[in-house]
Amino acid sequence: MACLIGLIIFGIMGIFSASHRALAKEAFDCVFRRITLRPCNSGFKEKIKGKILSRLINKSPFTARMVNRHYEILSWIFFILMVGSTVWVLRGGYNFYVYGSCNGLNASGFCAFDPNGDNNKISSVNGDSSTCGIVQKSEKTVTLKNIDLSSFPAKNIGSKDTVVFIGCYDCDYSRKAYPDIQKLVAKKDANYIFAHYPAKGNITDKLAYAGYCIYKNDGDKFWDWNTYLFATDKNYILDPVNLDTMLQKFNFDVKKTEECIASPETKKAVDSQVIELNKTNIYGTPTIFINQKAFVGPKPYRVYRSAINKFIFF
Amino acid sequence: MLDINKIRKDFKILSDEKAPIYFDNACMSLKPNTVVNAMNTYYYEFPACAGRSAHKMGDKVTKKIKETRTLIAKFINADSQKEIIFTRNTTEGINLLANSFPFKSGDIVLVSDKEHNSNLVPWLRLKEKAGIILKIIPGNNDNTFNLENFKEQVIGAKFVSIGHTSNLDGVTNPAKEIIEIAHKNGVLVHLDAAQSIAHQKIDVRDLDVDFLSFSGHKMLGPSGTGIFYGKQKLLEDLAPFMVGGDTVESTTYESYKMLEVPEKFEAGLQDYAGIIGLGEAVKYLDQLSFKEISEHEIKLNTYITEELRKFPKVKIIGPTDPVLRGGIINFYIENTDMHKFAIILDEMAGIAIRSGQHCVHSWFHSKKIYNSARVSVYFYNTMEEAEIFISNFTKILKII
Repeated sequence: MACLIGLIIFGIMGIFSASHRALAKEAFDCVFRRITLRPCNSGFKEKIKGKILSRLINKSPFTARMVNRHYEILSWIFFILMVGSTVWVLRGGYNFYVYGSCNGLNASGFCAFDPNGDNNKISSVNGDSSTCGIVQKSEKTVTLKNIDLSSFPAKNIGSKDTVVFIGCYDCDYSRKAYPDIQKLVAKKDANYIFAHYPAKGNITDKLAYAGYCIYKNDGDKFWDWNTYLFATDKNYILDPVNLDTMLQKFNFDVKKTEECIASPETKKAVDSQVIELNKTNIYGTPTIFINQKAFVGPKPYRVYRSAINKFIFF
Repeated sequence: MLDINKIRKDFKILSDEKAPIYFDNACMSLKPNTVVNAMNTYYYEFPACAGRSAHKMGDKVTKKIKETRTLIAKFINADSQKEIIFTRNTTEGINLLANSFPFKSGDIVLVSDKEHNSNLVPWLRLKEKAGIILKIIPGNNDNTFNLENFKEQVIGAKFVSIGHTSNLDGVTNPAKEIIEIAHKNGVLVHLDAAQSIAHQKIDVRDLDVDFLSFSGHKMLGPSGTGIFYGKQKLLEDLAPFMVGGDTVESTTYESYKMLEVPEKFEAGLQDYAGIIGLGEAVKYLDQLSFKEISEHEIKLNTYITEELRKFPKVKIIGPTDPVLRGGIINFYIENTDMHKFAIILDEMAGIAIRSGQHCVHSWFHSKKIYNSARVSVYFYNTMEEAEIFISNFTKILKII
């Protein structure tokens, strides 16, 4: 068993060091002989055991004695741990590729490939609305089941793939994910529904009302407006003073839009949308549903692509 | 008395503060600086051919090689330098003999029961190839040579090839008696002196041995050098072993005329640097006293043996008396792989010992012993080194 462990470890180390390459070769010879039902005669096992014991003997004779006596069992334990950790690493690598996190979809535990947890950062919607950052994943099931999305802006209706973006104009992570989703939708001509969720409170209400009114009055012109809001400095777009200027920039009827924004029906409609979104049990923005599968946090583009291409096997 | 501190300064590897404790002398001795320097001088100053080129460098090599041959002849008290044949090692010498001696099918060859593979395999092969009968002389229970068994078996034999000193346990066989008994029975004797040449005075005329082979690397000389000695008349009767350049006086497209001994056995260009180094090794050994070397080795052996005996599970191969084992202490612990000992000793204290079956597989198989660890000391080893060995050995034994 020590030979097999040695082969794997020294094989990897041998990529960088000639001396380890020689040990890897010895280990390979030993493994090859064992699998061809011949005794390992390279002395590799004893060499490794001797090296380990010689380091332990002066520090802790007791440990050295235990290692010597139970070497085979320890080798097995290390082998099992090694196989386990290898499987774990492969699983982590797979998860990172398809979900953007080593720990699985929307899991925010530590991931060596994403040590800062950037792919899982969200703007929390569960009460602490003022902070952005890593939050623990809610146990609630985030779902679009029985959610009425008919009042939200939508395009490419009838496409086989559906992407639902729930984000907030004021949230950095929504702003980060937005361009990738636009790219994905454009590439796949996916049925796309945008839902604004005021994760940081009322500060974005006016923009939400504006969005509602623009989609209602001007239809597809909404999408350019929406993209502009996500691409422009948020301090500028959130300042009510700039709203008219922005509306003028897109040649919208400023007066009509302002009236719509101020109308109680608009507020009621937007509030209804938020109530509907709350039924999804989202716990942060952005939350992106790709064919019903929820991705919470700004994932790398490949994650969205894998999801829509059905590259996710498990 | 040997001045060990002064001697150690002659060996670069031992002059260092972190010098290894080298206890693998039965495999290979260390080389004094004079040997290495002589070889370097050859390569730096006159790296030419011997015996064929007329230029000054060629002359110098020829002279040096001749000097070495004479030195070695004198070292073993041979009648003539013509009896000294340069080989690569003992193994080559024995192969030369086995392949050149006019053995016939049914000829009986005797060897002891603890021969090094070098003095066993050539005869086993000759058994297959030429149909000789190979007989093993059983030793005594303590691994010493059994002269009575020999006396019985030598009758009707053709040849005896026997190790002078065993690399297994350091026991020196009673060569003079063996040769005398063999000769009385009209049997020729070859001595494998690989293990003895560096530790005791060998006088081929006094022993009256017919053939003798040894290696340079165990006697302070370079690796890849060896000597095959034979009485001149016997050498002349041997067929050439390897032929080609340097073995012939002249050739035509149809025939060749061999040179006389020793050249007829020295085919191809020789290892001149090695031979010159071997000459220096002989000079170095010549200035020491074999009696003092032997006393020093036995002193170290006695100490190590006594300390090892304190551990009942440690079994020493060979006779109890360390005096009979020269500089070798070969031991094992039942059901324990002794490679582990050697590796740990090396890793934890830089002590180099040999582990395994020491090229005497046949003996280990017959005794059903897996392997052993062998400590072999030489004149440059110190009592302090022996104490460090025992101290570390004790630590290892506690965890095994």
